[in-house]
Amino acid sequence: MLTSEGLEEIEATRAEEPSARHALLTALRVTQRERHKVGPEEIEYIAGLLGLSPAIVEGVARFYDQITASPTGQHIVRVCGGITCYLSQSDRVAQDLKGFLGIADGEETSPDGEFTVRLVECIGDCDHAPAGMLDDRFVGPLDERALRTISER
Amino acid sequence: MADFLTRHTKDPAQKKLDTARGRGAYEGFRRALAMSRQEVVAEIDASGLRGRGGAGFPTGRKWSFIHAKEGQSVYLLCNADESEPGTFKDHHLMTFDPHLVLEGVAVGAYAIGAHRAYIYLRGEYASIAETLAAALREATAAGIIGQSCLGSGYDLSVGLQLGAGAYICGEETGLIQSLEGKRAYPRVRPPFPAVHGFLREPTVVNNVETLACAARIMAEGAEAFARLGTRQSAGTKLISVSGAVERPGVYEVEMGYPLMQFLSHEAGGISGGRRLKAIIPGGTSVPVLTAEEAAPLTIDYESMLSAGTMLGSGGMIVFGDGTSMPHALLRIAEFYAHESCGECTPCREGTGWMAWVLRRLLAGEGSPGDLGLLLRVGDNIEGRTICGLGDASVQPVRSFIRKFRQEFEALAPLPVAFPAWQLHGHGPRTGRFGPPVEEAAQSQPVEGPPDYVL
Ligand SMILES: Cc1cc2nc3c(=O)[nH]c(=O)nc-3n(C[C@H](O)[C@H](O)[C@H](O)COP(=O)(O)O)c2cc1C
Ligand code: SF4
Ligand code: FES
Repeated sequence: MLTSEGLEEIEATRAEEPSARHALLTALRVTQRERHKVGPEEIEYIAGLLGLSPAIVEGVARFYDQITASPTGQHIVRVCGGITCYLSQSDRVAQDLKGFLGIADGEETSPDGEFTVRLVECIGDCDHAPAGMLDDRFVGPLDERALRTISER
Repeated sequence: MADFLTRHTKDPAQKKLDTARGRGAYEGFRRALAMSRQEVVAEIDASGLRGRGGAGFPTGRKWSFIHAKEGQSVYLLCNADESEPGTFKDHHLMTFDPHLVLEGVAVGAYAIGAHRAYIYLRGEYASIAETLAAALREATAAGIIGQSCLGSGYDLSVGLQLGAGAYICGEETGLIQSLEGKRAYPRVRPPFPAVHGFLREPTVVNNVETLACAARIMAEGAEAFARLGTRQSAGTKLISVSGAVERPGVYEVEMGYPLMQFLSHEAGGISGGRRLKAIIPGGTSVPVLTAEEAAPLTIDYESMLSAGTMLGSGGMIVFGDGTSMPHALLRIAEFYAHESCGECTPCREGTGWMAWVLRRLLAGEGSPGDLGLLLRVGDNIEGRTICGLGDASVQPVRSFIRKFRQEFEALAPLPVAFPAWQLHGHGPRTGRFGPPVEEAAQSQPVEGPPDYVL
């Protein structure tokens, strides 16, 4: 289910920490990165890998916003909807970006499964409002140029 | 501008160990290692350093609470969750001077007798975690961190943990829970982390900036820090300013620096030649200030307190005239409703209701008693929750309504047939957040921001 690289990362954390439970957050992050979701199958898998009950894995997974039950696109664009970015009209930016990427109203992911656009809370980059991230990279301010760059990826 | 912490953050080469060491990096740690733990704690105490994560608790005192019994392990946790809206100072510090942050972690760990420390970063800071990891590899290879740090015989290992998207992981016991691989439900105190923290062992949680200050204090001496700032607010503060200013960014100022001077000099003035309407000085969890209230203030704990607000995280959000305060407040209230972890009822339900009542007011569907209702819900949250998020959620609601009352009153409609409580009754709830499911689904989201531009 996971790449050997991903498995190594989880294993390394587990080896360093006092118990398997401590590697759970890392396991969830790695799985989300590689599978773009942590649904029932992934939960079973992680539970087996770490020797934890699936209920525990699911309980933790559903607490964190970046771990999603349904699949996201290959790339995820986070548009900040925090107070500063909201005041610079970031919700319109998110709308424009969805238009660029052909994401229908009410949807988050493009039909080809390439991009998910999500409005999120403050991402800690408010001096670049309207701020945004392309996967793990800060790409704000989301002006027209930044939007093009994202859509051309 | 002051440069106690940010002297070298302009130079990209500062990330490299050689460059940083050429400028004195880890000399503070070396000096600490030559002293006893108690002496280091005393030095930090003498400097007057107070926590930079929001509450301003004296750091030396916090460290002095650690009394490990035989067989206990002590932990230092560096709080790099930085999710308070408007706050991005730790982002800046870790990106541009990762070795200073690591040195701070090392100093703190030594002072409390920890041999294991963690830096917990919010999930969005994955790229910053890579910067820190690279710095940590360098510092380990150079024998600064690891077995017998700098040849002293003191061992320290440092772990990096990324979160996965939850504001509550910045609350110190939420952070501990998350680090243990659990839901970040804050713990009831007492017992405090100093007694029962990570793995139920004595633990200190400190903010990134606090630890960076500690490193610099060990390098320059307590006196050099205490000389800066005011009597109750020693040293400097990183201010992350955003919103309606010409030059948003992170600036280091000496405590006691005039707020208006900061806005006009450092931040470049209000953007678009507009006038200042309001400032939130320390992240959304502290009360807002009107322009008149803000005018005479200085950037330090006591001046902010005298105006009924707090320096908080130093996340300064500036509002220009033309901003609709009710819309701004709704966005803030929604943040708390979304981020309430749901562990205790007043916060889980109250934050949802506050956002929901504001939403209906802005949708033109409010009732005359709604402003009073908002304040009452707030009163019923405050002081009745497990962690500080509940109290924090009330500060913006109360201060915005009281200080910009007319804007809110303009939204409240004329008397209608039934009072709010009957209207929305006690029907089925979502299990989290206040309003009944069907009604929440029916209520229209507020259309985009109103007629203002930044
Ligand atoms: C809801 C909530 C969120 C918090 N988020 C952070 C945070 O992101 N970073 C931080 O340093 N402190 C945060 N704090 C404060 C921490 O609980 C803790 O007081 C702080 O990390 C202590 O460090 P200091 O003494 O160095 O300031 C938060 C507190 C609350 C109640
Ligand atoms: S106050 Fe809110 S965030 Fe804190 S423990 Fe209670 S429900 Fe959770
Ligand atoms: S409000 Fe958008 S990054 Fe902080």
